[in-house]
Amino acid sequence: MTRRRTKVLRPLDWAFPPQPIERELLHVAADEPADRPPLLFVHGMNHGAWTFAEHWMPAAADQGWDCWAVSLRGHGGSDGYDGLRRWKFRDYEHDVMQAIIEMPRPPVIVGHSMGAQVVRRVLQRYVAPAAVLIAPPGGRVGLGVMTRFARRQPATFTRALAARPVQLDDSDLFGPEMDAAAARRYCDRMTPEAPLAQYEVMVRPQPVGARSPVLVLGGGEDALVSVFDMVAAARLYGTRPHVFRGMGHDLMLEPRWREPLDLILDWAERTTKR
Amino acid sequence: MSDGTAGRYCVIGAGAAGLTAAKNLREHGFDVDVYELAEVVGGNWDINHPYSRVYESTHTISSPPFTQYPDFPMPDHWPDYPHHSQIGEYLRRYARHFGVYDVIQFSTRVERVEPVDGGRAWDVTVRTGDAAPRTLRYAGVVICNGHNWYPKLPSYEGEFTGQAMHSAEYKSPDVLRGKRVLVVGGGNTGCDIAVEAAQNATATFHSTRRGYWYAPKYNLGKPNDQVSDAVFMLRLPTRIVQRIFETTLKLTTGDLTRHGLPRPDHRILETHPISNSQLVYYVGHGDITPKRDVAYLDGDTVHFVDGSVEQVDLIVWATGYLMHFDFIDDRHLNWQDGRPHLYLNAFPPAYDNLFVIGLLQPDSGLFALMHWQAQVMARFLAAQRDGSPAADAFRRERDEHLEERQSGGFHYVYSTRHHLEIEHMDYMRTLDRVVKTLEAA
Repeated sequence: MTRRRTKVLRPLDWAFPPQPIERELLHVAADEPADRPPLLFVHGMNHGAWTFAEHWMPAAADQGWDCWAVSLRGHGGSDGYDGLRRWKFRDYEHDVMQAIIEMPRPPVIVGHSMGAQVVRRVLQRYVAPAAVLIAPPGGRVGLGVMTRFARRQPATFTRALAARPVQLDDSDLFGPEMDAAAARRYCDRMTPEAPLAQYEVMVRPQPVGARSPVLVLGGGEDALVSVFDMVAAARLYGTRPHVFRGMGHDLMLEPRWREPLDLILDWAERTTKR
Repeated sequence: MSDGTAGRYCVIGAGAAGLTAAKNLREHGFDVDVYELAEVVGGNWDINHPYSRVYESTHTISSPPFTQYPDFPMPDHWPDYPHHSQIGEYLRRYARHFGVYDVIQFSTRVERVEPVDGGRAWDVTVRTGDAAPRTLRYAGVVICNGHNWYPKLPSYEGEFTGQAMHSAEYKSPDVLRGKRVLVVGGGNTGCDIAVEAAQNATATFHSTRRGYWYAPKYNLGKPNDQVSDAVFMLRLPTRIVQRIFETTLKLTTGDLTRHGLPRPDHRILETHPISNSQLVYYVGHGDITPKRDVAYLDGDTVHFVDGSVEQVDLIVWATGYLMHFDFIDDRHLNWQDGRPHLYLNAFPPAYDNLFVIGLLQPDSGLFALMHWQAQVMARFLAAQRDGSPAADAFRRERDEHLEERQSGGFHYVYSTRHHLEIEHMDYMRTLDRVVKTLEAA
């Protein structure tokens, strides 16, 4: 099977470019500048750049990594809430590209959940020194996520099918070790997702392969993305996933958030060393 | 010849083409030295630079979506038609982001490029400032010196005693004030200067060889090139595309012969497109008098082929530029009939390690095209390095389709202006096919 790793023709982007927008780009500068690429975090459904600012960005900056996180349009501190019904992955991809051009050098791109799917699109047009896919919803398509979502939250799922913006529940996002009050607090900060992007997460075939080295990881107790999904995604990049037993979907907010971060930083350090 | 450059590639010029050539070669693991005559990258876009060909009011005539490099979009908040100083800033940001500055040697002129052993390697003679020339051996050479800087001057009978200048020297409308000005040339520069003359000079005459299609910069509320790309997306037959564009222009710009402009002697897009909303506006206000071709010059008067005569203080020759490569023998670039014959305007048939990036005159922005030219070049070299069968597949493609021009079915009017003319969608589809060939193995 011939797999295109590169997308040359983008007639839709040439004729109908994504709408310009004001977006939030959080930055935590490295404690002491080291000769390392910056890290760029891309959040998933309902989340925002803030989810990485909780623990990961300050901790990584402490270890000498320049950290950035972008809020996709209609999320976190970015504009675009009024256009929620129009936004698609193509717009999110544009948001990440616009964040990339603000970086002093090519970043290691870290995408979580739906953000991982957006990063996969970015990798088709941009050669990052390395990329990390956290809890990617499936290989080519997110049918597994769709089935699990439908079974766990039939009412919410039906609303998503009816093109209503929906929000995931704290029972879907966190593992058994998570403190219930913290989980509730995080969920209160989340915002509904763009309906077309919801469809794209579940049924749109995602790009395959990249010219950047890719790391895949996720939580063993993830209620939405199964280990099987992670294996399927990793296989498309010639690798295997690292699974953190006992952790849920939002690894960066869980009590043991330091373990996956350490893995990411170690791997990024080794992979991008010149 | 000095050692220490074995296996390295030489890029001539650090403009929009040289930067993407160097960046994409490095991305594929090649070591690169870039030689740049100026002290800055993208010198053409820096009005203070002696080789710059921009004037104070120069803006792009294409909008960012296709103009920008696909892996480094222009910032969201930039206008539809950025100012030339923004393009300069864009190139500096690109160079900084991808670390190209590390490999550029500024203030260095390339004096000679000669093949070694029939092209196994290349000897490049360079001179930094006033230092003695050095000759270095390279595994390959990428020519990115641009083709819109060496003025093309027409010759007419008779002598003109007034002031005359090529548009290359035109920097600001100050030179036009209080004068009777003749602008010769119907390209985008000629139209821009005619408009500035209409705003500043006492009288403005605009001489063109033929009638042209003057496309506005906005159409249906969008930048015109985005509307065109929406039409090209549909992959309709050329004739129908022409009919759509011509009808749109008739409905918006209207019948130009009413203003005394000649009727175009060709279908739309058979000459390089002109994107200018103001020219027709000023013709309609009587501030620009359209003229036919110049017949001869006599003192301070100009005689036109239709018999009319005008007294003129200043002639601006907006007659374009010629390709100019004074550091390499024509035969290496397969020159015949006054132009190089290269596959995709980039790949000489006789060499696997000599390339020309950016030698294109598209009906669109250029940076995206140069990015993919550079990608194809880098992937071809990588395939050679890795002993992949894709290298042979590419050579076959190159030799079979050497004379093919990606014109999208348009028949260009013969002129040196159209030596490098291509239709961008056709060209991109060809590049897409070639990238696929190189990726297959």
